[in-house]
Formats: sequence, structure tokens, C-alpha cells
Amino acid sequence: MRFAYYPGCSAHGSSLDYELSTEAVCEALGITLEEIPDWNCCGSTPAHAVGTSLSAALCARNLDIAAKKGISLLVTSCPSCLSNLRSASKRMKDPAFRAEVDDLLDAPTNRTFPLVTSVMQAIAEHISPDLIKDRVRVSLTGIRLVCYYGCLMSRPHDLMQFGDPENPMLMETLLSALGAEVLDFPLKTACCGASFGIPKRPLTARNSGRILELAHSLGADAVVVACPLCQMNLDLRQAQAQRATGERFRMPVPYFTQIMGLAFGLPHEALGLKKLSIPLDPVLAKIEENAPVRFGGEA
Amino acid sequence: MSGLTQGERRELRIVGFLCNWCSYGGADTAGVARASQPTDLRIIRVPCSGRVDPLFVVKALLNGADGVLVSGCHPRDCHYGTGNFYARRRLEVLRRFLPVLGIDPKRFSYTWVSASEGQRWQTVVTRFTEEIHELGPAPRFMDAGPLEREIEQPASSPLHSLDSASLESLAALKQAIASRLPELDLVLGWQEGRDKAHLVPLFIRTPEDLDRLAIGPLAVHNLAVYLPELKGRKVGIVVKGCDGRSVVELLQEKLISREDVEIFAVACHGTFDTGRIDQALGRYQHLESVRMDGKELRITCDGRERHFSLENDSSTKCLHCKTPLSPLSDHSFGSAPSVGEGDSTPPDLARLDAMTLDERRAFWRSQMERCIRCYACRNACPLCVCRDHCISDTREPHFTTQESTAKEKFFFQIIHSLHLAGRCTGCGECQRSCPVGIPILALREHLIRVTDELFPEYRAGMTVDAAAPLLTYSVEEPHIQEREW
Amino acid sequence: MRIGVFVCHCGSNIGGTVDCAEVARIAGTFPDVVYSTDPMYTCAEPGQAAIEEAIREHSLDGVVVASCSPRMHEPTFRRTVERAGLNPYMFEMANIREHVSWIGKDIPSNTRKAAELVEMAVEKLRKDTPLTPAEFPVTRRVLVIGGGVAGIQAALDCADGGIPVVMVEREATIGGKMAKLDKTFPTVDCSACILGPKMVDVAQHPNISLYAHAEIEDVQGYVGNFTVTIRKKTTYVDWSKCTGCGTCTEKCPARHSVDAFNEGIGETSAITIAFPQAIPKKAVINRDFCRQLTKGKCGVCAKVCPTGAIRYDMEDEIVTEKVGSIIAATGYDLMDWRVYSEYGAGRYPDIITSLQYERLMNASGPTGGHIVRPSDGREPKTVVFVQCVGSRDPSVGRPYCSGFCCMYTAKQAILTKDHIPDSHSYVFYMDIRAAGKMYDEFTRRAVEEYGTEYIRGRVSQIYPDGHGQLTVMGMDTLLGRPVVLKADLVVLAVGIEAARGAKELAEKLRISYDSAGFFLESHVKLRPVETNTAGVFLAGVCQGTKDIPASVAQGSAAASKVLTLFARETLKSNPQIAKTIPGRCVGCGKCARCCPYGAIRENVANGETTVEVIETMCQGCGLCTATCPQGAIQLAHATDNQILAEVNALCQA
Repeated sequence: MRFAYYPGCSAHGSSLDYELSTEAVCEALGITLEEIPDWNCCGSTPAHAVGTSLSAALCARNLDIAAKKGISLLVTSCPSCLSNLRSASKRMKDPAFRAEVDDLLDAPTNRTFPLVTSVMQAIAEHISPDLIKDRVRVSLTGIRLVCYYGCLMSRPHDLMQFGDPENPMLMETLLSALGAEVLDFPLKTACCGASFGIPKRPLTARNSGRILELAHSLGADAVVVACPLCQMNLDLRQAQAQRATGERFRMPVPYFTQIMGLAFGLPHEALGLKKLSIPLDPVLAKIEENAPVRFGGEA
Repeated sequence: MSGLTQGERRELRIVGFLCNWCSYGGADTAGVARASQPTDLRIIRVPCSGRVDPLFVVKALLNGADGVLVSGCHPRDCHYGTGNFYARRRLEVLRRFLPVLGIDPKRFSYTWVSASEGQRWQTVVTRFTEEIHELGPAPRFMDAGPLEREIEQPASSPLHSLDSASLESLAALKQAIASRLPELDLVLGWQEGRDKAHLVPLFIRTPEDLDRLAIGPLAVHNLAVYLPELKGRKVGIVVKGCDGRSVVELLQEKLISREDVEIFAVACHGTFDTGRIDQALGRYQHLESVRMDGKELRITCDGRERHFSLENDSSTKCLHCKTPLSPLSDHSFGSAPSVGEGDSTPPDLARLDAMTLDERRAFWRSQMERCIRCYACRNACPLCVCRDHCISDTREPHFTTQESTAKEKFFFQIIHSLHLAGRCTGCGECQRSCPVGIPILALREHLIRVTDELFPEYRAGMTVDAAAPLLTYSVEEPHIQEREW
Repeated sequence: MRIGVFVCHCGSNIGGTVDCAEVARIAGTFPDVVYSTDPMYTCAEPGQAAIEEAIREHSLDGVVVASCSPRMHEPTFRRTVERAGLNPYMFEMANIREHVSWIGKDIPSNTRKAAELVEMAVEKLRKDTPLTPAEFPVTRRVLVIGGGVAGIQAALDCADGGIPVVMVEREATIGGKMAKLDKTFPTVDCSACILGPKMVDVAQHPNISLYAHAEIEDVQGYVGNFTVTIRKKTTYVDWSKCTGCGTCTEKCPARHSVDAFNEGIGETSAITIAFPQAIPKKAVINRDFCRQLTKGKCGVCAKVCPTGAIRYDMEDEIVTEKVGSIIAATGYDLMDWRVYSEYGAGRYPDIITSLQYERLMNASGPTGGHIVRPSDGREPKTVVFVQCVGSRDPSVGRPYCSGFCCMYTAKQAILTKDHIPDSHSYVFYMDIRAAGKMYDEFTRRAVEEYGTEYIRGRVSQIYPDGHGQLTVMGMDTLLGRPVVLKADLVVLAVGIEAARGAKELAEKLRISYDSAGFFLESHVKLRPVETNTAGVFLAGVCQGTKDIPASVAQGSAAASKVLTLFARETLKSNPQIAKTIPGRCVGCGKCARCCPYGAIRENVANGETTVEVIETMCQGCGLCTATCPQGAIQLAHATDNQILAEVNALCQA
């Protein structure tokens, strides 16, 4: 199975571990991700704050490249990229807006654009839970996880089509298939405050702290995420968050692909585990306790 | 609103038929809420959408309405229980009928608005009015010019083989009638008319009459037309496949009773278009011979032989015939040809299909100018059961005027067609009997096509105890896609 | 014919956007119109007197009034012309208010439109014929659907007035929602104590026959003569033998059945008597949980029943009743609040509905009146009430106010303090709607005497905090800042909607309903109890949100409508019915086939079939007229010629 892939700029920088683990997990599931050529920034935060047509033009260029290569489905890991690509795609259905963007790009864009979806949805929709279960080499039994989607993945509902916008369940389904114990996490779509990380640091600390503190209270071993910005915010700024809530905890914040990779028995280097600022030790320790069954040559 | 305020743009004529209980109330609710609406619409209050005779809609559209809107209670919510279920079927048939008349179906809409849905009513009125304004004023039927381009009649091949095999059944048929004649008051068949090339109805009362019986591809009359008049008498009738369906339809409508009618079904292998033959023969003094052989017919008159073939000169209805043998019979003769798969569009209808709406109006206008309003079409129709009570002959009710305009004549054809909707078997007697040869069968054939699409489980004249689609309803209509607002 | 036209100004309602004098002038030019004028208020006493005077002075034999909707004043003006000696049906209306002046501001367009509507009315009137209603006997019995407080009140009033009542209640006991409540606002008197005696009256009244655990299957007929089919749902208990002793409920081993009466708080046995004061006090087996019915073995109740009333093989029973009138009092249900994912969509046991809270507080409830948390049985010290969950929220399709939540929330806050003196309550509200006698005073008591903390704003999220409490995040819109509270228990004031099955019932009764399923009254202000189906009346919340006093009042009002209807031995039928024209009929029977009422009789004489309309059965829909190809059956006052005349008035190209 091959998917056209839009990595987005974080994947090549701050969230290299997401990129690595995504590729490794996909490979393990028989999926090849093919990067589209000559892609550019999706126009996230800075550009869309300046102008919608400018931001859409950036996305439209990427979509246009894919469309002209005959691609009908494009996948991306980053929820912000996904949101931008999808909303640009929607806006471009308005002829007046399309004309404006075409003008910015100096060339007429393709009439139709590929459908854009997240890597998570692509895996869930194309790989059966049984196949995922079959691929498990390392038992995650007894590992307590909470899934955190962040604010963008499921909202707005009409645009993202990600199930119940307040209570998405896709990541839970995937992680349960691995054998982990997935806890109900009421703050799974609450804002982590990442966008205010620079202008209003206390607000960010309070929001992130609330999420981490709840995960801690519920007895989670890790908060599993799907968004580079959330990950950075919850992981890197954990000390700030702790000062805001007054609680003491060390909560690992891995990507869902890293957890899947662990379950599949992939080497830690291939999953970029070293990049996590709060180490995944509690999880790894439990895995160790579970006396992992390894199969020849695969680990 | 295309940039114009209400006062600035010319109002168009939009007629609404609203049921008293739901939609009229919904329009009141919109008014109470001061929900502003375009002023073009004029509302006629009727008790129920089921009261809306589709002819009212056509009357309005032919007489200058630019749009007509019917609104009733939502299905299942009818104040009278089922009125709107019937309305939905009848109005959907009407909507699909309009294009063949050259009327844009977008000028007619029907919908459901409840008494509480003031806002929905506002949306419906506003949107419908906008749509009518986008179409602009409706072109008037009497303004239609002559048809400017030649539209070729597409070739079509018959669904079963056509030949004169039915002739072979004559001896057996005669024998059967002879044995049944003592118990029957009369038997309907055909005989030679003014000459061998023209068959006419025969009323057999005695064995001597029986000697004159003739059948074959020239026996074109649908004798079922006489049955309602003979109600109460024991009547035998010789039928081709299509005639048999008329008999079934009459039985279904209880206009004749099964115990009084005895059906002698002859497998039909096609009939000639006698109008075409007459045209080719022209005026002649003496007819010397008529010879029929397989598909071929040779007629010699005034010393000249003319050659006809069922391949080229059959009645058009035979081309898409699926019932060469009557679906109901007491005696049957000959073997029916096997019928091929699929549907074929009757040639006259295919020609209309190839026209634009404007061209269809032009076509009908010029055809109707030729109509002499003789009503032969009506008199030949076996299902025109109103007889002396046809609504085009009366002022009670006053649907048609006595003006001899193409529009009034066309309106009569529309009345006839709509009254036949779901009942017409396509026997083609209306067109065959037309002395000026107007292809009016196409209107009925289009309606048959419409009812086939909407009610595929039903075919007129096939089963006695079936319910004609417009005289019944279903709560869910799988083949009616209602529009969204 | 001599026609008079009256173009009403309706003050400025019509006169403001229609040139009424001009419409009257144009009307004067229409055929047969001999008099036209434009009065200020036609429906007022002087306006009606002027019509009567004009009829006499100008020898009018037909009148057109152009004013409001005929659905409003047609009966009024029919009486007016009748007083002046005309047949009341020689009258037509043109609706130039709801359909003209109120929906457009352009005076020339409106005036033109009004004049055309008048022209249509004149053309129709010219073909009107005098009509006389027939009289038919009435079945003087009434059906009351629903045994809540509104239905109980209606039934008792009718029964006291001497009218036999058939009451049909879907549940096993009457009492409705009120029977579930603990106390009632604003007097905080015990709900069961004031409702109980009325329920007993229903059981004991000689004029009332009660079908509990039964539903309406079908309704046929028309005012004065309805035939109602009732499905008595199987109870598996022979009620003629059951004494309500309760032995079976004690011994039943299936203890984990859903307790519907207690709104799912706690569990009950598979055979139950809803509550101690149930009427009728009879046991019912819940077939989903009964071991005998699901697994085929148990039979404990049958063994212990002292009267041998248990019947595992019992089946539904169908009965028919003939009545002359119907009162619908089907009440409401809570909306499915699980659409609110942000409140956990039902995943968290300590977030409950207001009705569940009533059962928790109620001494006959599952906890014996002790307020405890469903999750762990602990007594809550902090209770947060959230109002408008599913009310005034278009995003979940509930734009309307449920009407009574502000009041019961105040009551529940007060009672919480009474039950747990060291507790503290918060109420998140949008606005306090306390318009009623002693209502505002009551909500103030909740704040001032009981220290309930009211926070104006909505709640954005409620979730368990991992330490055994709930975190409630909201907004205080008066202070303009976010609020985060820790609560032991959260009570949602869940919005209401029409009772489940209301739409299906409305279809059977042939009445209308709105988007929330509430039944539509005939006129929102002036005919709030009547429906557009003659003989069918409404009581209680089935018509729209109401509290107990209003439901009781409407119950009595519906009863008075029934008593008025039955004050006469006979009813007058609507004379606007179909009539056959014998000479034109060919006896094909298509009309009879379509008639929804079976009101067309086919007569066969000498081999000829003719049809005949049964006057009292025809309801005047006109389906037959549209069906008859030869126009041989005509609906009076909507004849083919009348509709054609209206079409012709509009379309003359």
C-alpha cells in the first residue's frame, strides 16, 4: 500500500521523532509513504494570521502539485497541516476565491484537489484491527495510557470529519488493539495553550498543567499525542506546567506512532525515543516487566 | 434578488395552491412573523393538496402563469389522512409530463409545509419566486412559431418479429366462435370494409355473420371500445394483444363484468399503419387484389401494384409491443412471437425527445392548428369512459372553452392524456383514428414512460385486480425524489 | 348577483402597506360588485354592523371581506352575514394581511396583489351556493390520552360533568411526570400528597374507565363519532386477580432490572409495581429482565402470588372504544442530553438529570430520600446545577425555553440545603425566568435564605478530576471570567421535548405538530386548547412547555370544551362536502376507491352503478373531485368551476 505523504515542516525539525516513528510504523504495516515533490509550508500560524488567501495559496500549491501528479489521497501527520490543507481545499471550491489564489500563484490550479487525511485515519481505515493485533510483538498489557488529540484534530467537525468532535475515539481504538489499557480522558480535546506559548506563557502553563495533572491523577503512564505542537508543549514545558499547578509529576508524552512502534517491537532508535524530553521509562519498565516475547530477527 | 428591490423588478405571475390545514396555515404563520416574501405569488386556498387536479396547474400554465406551486401537509400529516399521498403521485406525474408539452418543468413545483413552518414557507416562496425570475416570463403557447429545423425520426427495430402469421388462426377461431355463438348475444370481430384492403368491425350474431370474419395485419381496430356500451349483454370479443389489455383495464375499472365477456385472443404478429397505406394508395377507382405473404403486402388498384412491408409500414405501437397475446383470455389462437428484452422508445416520442422545449411547443402549436376538433381520438379510445360526460363538452365543469384555438385543442389533448395516466395501454387508437394524422399518441406514450419510471411494478391492462397507480398510494415512494428547499 | 366588498384597514396592519381605498375602488369594477368600501376595523362591532347594514341597504346576496386570514375570522363573518339574513356560505374572504400587508412593504405591489386576491374571492363567490349543515347524533363519551396531571384533571372534570371518560395511559400507572417529583415549587409541598388523591379519584370515579399500560393503535371517524382502537400491552399479570400486595416484587430473583420509574437510578426487580401510590396498583413484568420470559426457567412470582395472577403466556389485547371527542394529554420527555459530549455524554455516573435528582430526593425513591452520589453512595457536599441543557440551544436543535427549569432548579437547590445542611449549591444559568405567582420571590429565597450561588453563564465542560470529584468549567459572564468548580454531584436541568411517540399519535389524530413534536393548537392565542381537527383538544405539555398550574388549567379548559361540545344532542356537519351530479356519473367508482373516509357509497340499480356521498361522513377534502375524470362529483365551495374561476382571474393570457 502506498500513500502520497505531506510531511509538513515540523516533521523535518522539531518533531523528527514523529516523522521517524510514523515511517517505521507504516513500514511495519506494509504502508509506503511517498513524499510529494517540492512541497512547501502549509501556511500555518503565521500565514493564516496575515491573510486567508495568502495562507490558502501556500496550501493550494501543495495540493496542486499532488493533484497534477494524479494523486487522489494525500496523508499528513500534523493536525495543523491537515486543518490548513482541508480548509484551503474547501475554500477553493468558491470560484471567486479560487481566482484570487490562482492570481497569487501566477497559474491556474487544478479543478479538483486530492482528499487530505491524517496518517492516523489512513491507518485506521486501511489496516484492519486484526492485522494490527497480528503485528504486535511486545505486550503492552498493564500499561495505562491516555490519548490526547489536542484542539485541532477533531475540530471543526464539518471540516475535519474526525468523529465526535468532543470525544474522538480513533487513537483509543488503535492503542487498545495493541493491548494497552486506555483510560477515559475527558480533556482529550482541550486546548494545551501552545499557540499562546510566547505571548501568554502563564496561560499556556495553566492549560498544559491541567491536562498533565489530570492524566497523572488518573494514573496514566503516558499521555499519547498526535500533534507536534502539543507534544512539544506538554513535554518540553512540563516544568513550567508543574509550577503552575503545584503538582509534581514526570509524565512522558510520546507520539501514538512511538507507542505502536514499541508494540511492534521496533528498535528504539527507529522510533526516535531519545528525542523525548521526559523519558518513556515508566512505560519501558512495564514492558520489561511483561517479559517481552520477541520473535526471531524482527526486534 | 439579482440586485433589484421588489418594487423595481417586474412581477411575474405565480399561482399557489395551498391546503387549508397545513400550508395555508404555514403561510399565515410566516405572515404573523412578518417574514418578508416576494409579492409575485397569489394563493388559492384548497381544502387539501389532494383536491388539486393537475389540470388546474396546466390550465394556469397554458394561460399565462409563469410558475405554479402546490403545497400540502407533510406526508403522514395530512389532515384528511391520505390526500397528500395521492397528490404526491399525481403531481409528480404532472411534473414529468410537462416537458413533452414544451413546458419547463422548473415552472412547477410541489412541496410540503406545515402550519408551524412559517420560516420554511418563506424559504419556499422566496426560492421558488427567484427560480421563476431566473427563467423569466413563460413563453406563451400561442406565440410559438413554426418548427424551424427538420428533426429526423430515429429508426427503431421491433421487440418481436412482425409478419402475417396471425392469418393462420382464422379457421380455428371461426370454429371456436361457432361453438360459443349460441350462448353469446354477439361476438365482436373484423370484416372486409369497402374493399379487401380495409377491414372494419364486425358484429357477429348469426353463423352467417361469422363467414365474413377476417383477421390479420389489417385488422387494426381495438374492438374493446364497444364493450362498455354493451354492458349487461353476453359479448364475445376477438382481441389482439393490445386490445386484450384494454379489456383488462375495463374490467379493472368495473366498467364491464367478467362473466359477460368472453375473450377470443389471437396471437398478433403486428399490424399495418393503415393511414400510411391509404396515403400511398391515394385515390383509386378499383381495387384488384390484396396479397399477403409473410411480411409483405401487395395491393393492386387501377392496374398499379403497390408494395408494403411490415418492416417499414407497421403501426409504430407494434415496434415496442411486449404483449402480442392478450394477458387474459378464454380461448387463444396461434403462437405468440417471442419478445426481445429491453425497451424501445416509440419513434414519434423519440423525435420529441430530440427537440428543445421551444421546438416542442412549436411542434404542438403547428400540429394543433391542424386539429379539426372532431374528437375521433376520444371516441376511438377504449378507456375514454366518460362518454357523453366528457369535461370538454360541458360548462359544468368548465375546463375548456369552445374557442377553436390551438391552445384549447392542445388543452383537450392534455386532459385526455392526464385522464389516461396510469390507465393507457398504448393501443394507439387515438392516433389511428385522427383524420388529419396528428401524432398524439406520443403524449400518451410519454405518460406511459413516466408511470413506468415511477411505478415500475405496474403496467396498465395486465391484471384485473391490480390498482391503477394514481388511484392508490404508498406511504414511502421509492421512485419519487422530492426536491429540497 | 349583488356583491358587497369590504376591504379592511385593520388599523395600520393592512392600511399601512396596502392602499385599501384603491383596492375598494378597483373591487367596485368587478362583475356583480354593487358596493365596495374600506372600513377601519371590519371585525369590530361597528364594522360588522356596517356589513349587516350594507346587506340590507344594497340588497346584497353575497359578501367578500378582504382582511386577515380566513383561518382567523371566517366563522365570525359567516355569522355576521347570517344575522343579516344571508346564507352564511354566501361569503368569501381575501387574506390581504398575513399574505400581503405583513410580508411586503411595497405599497403599489401590495395594492395590486390585494386587488387580485379580492378579484379571486369575488369570482369564487359568484359561483357559491347557499349551504345548509346536516345534523348528526353525538357519542357523548370522551377519550383522554395520557394520565399525567393534565389528563387527570381533564378526565375528572369531564367525569364530574357527567361525561363517561376512557383514559389511556402508556405506563403501568397514571400520575405522569408529576408522580416522580419530590416537592413542587413555589410552595414546596409534597407532589405525591397533592396528586395522590386525584389519582385515587380517577380510579374510583364511576364515569372513568382506565386502560393503563395501553396505547392508541388507531383512530378513525370524526368529531362526535370516533372509533378508537386501543392496544392493551401485555403485563403478564392478570390484573383482575392482582391485589397489588407486592409479594412477587419482593421475591423476584431478577434484581438487576432497569428501574424506569426511578429514571434508571438504582435497580429493581423484573416484576414491579412502579411506586407505592401507583394507580392502578398492579404488578407488571418487564419482559427484558424476567428470567422466566428470557431463559424459560424461574417462575418464582407465579409460585408466590397468593391469587395466581401471573400469566407468562399473556398477549397484547386489542379493544375498540367509541367516543365523540378526544383530549390529548401526552406530556413530555427529557431530550437525550447525551448529545452533549462536553458533559461526558452519560459516561460519568455523578452527572445526572434533574428528574433523576427528584427521584434521589424522593422518600419513595431508590435511596429513601437520601441524596447520595450514584457512583459511590457518598453524600455530596457541593452540588452544581446546570440550567438550559438542551433548552435555548439551537446548536442541538432546541431553540425553545423549557419553561419550568429555572423554578425547579431553585427548588432543588433549596431542598438540597434542607437535606444536607452543610452542602453548598451553585447554579449556572442563562437568565432566570420566574414569571409566575410567587415565582420570583421563590428564586430569591434560594439565593438569599439558602445561600445558593447563582453564576450567570454556560458550562463548557464537566469531567472527573481523578480525585473523586467533578471539575466544572464554565464562564461567569457577569464578571467576564472563567470559573472552575469542584463538585461532588452535577445536576443537569435537561430540556424537554414532546413525549416519544407524539408525532405518530398526531398522525393518527390528524393534528399538526411543530419541529419539537409539540401539538399545534388552532390559534396560538385565541384557540389554545382546540386543534384543527374538530373534536380533538389538547391539555398540558403536549401542546408546549408548561408547569403544573398551567397544565391543570389547560386540562380543565379542554374538559370545558368537551362539555360544551356535548351540551347538544346533535352536531352540525360541515356542509362544504362533496356531492354527486347523478347525470354525469358513469359509476366507475374511482372516487369511492380514493375516499379516505369511506364516505362514498356505490349503489347498483338495474345494472347501473351510481355513487352517493354520505353527508355526515364526508369531511370535505375534495380528493374525489380531483379524481373523477368527468367532474361528476363536486366539492361544495371548492368546485372545479370555483377553482377554475380563481385560476382564470389570475391567468388570462
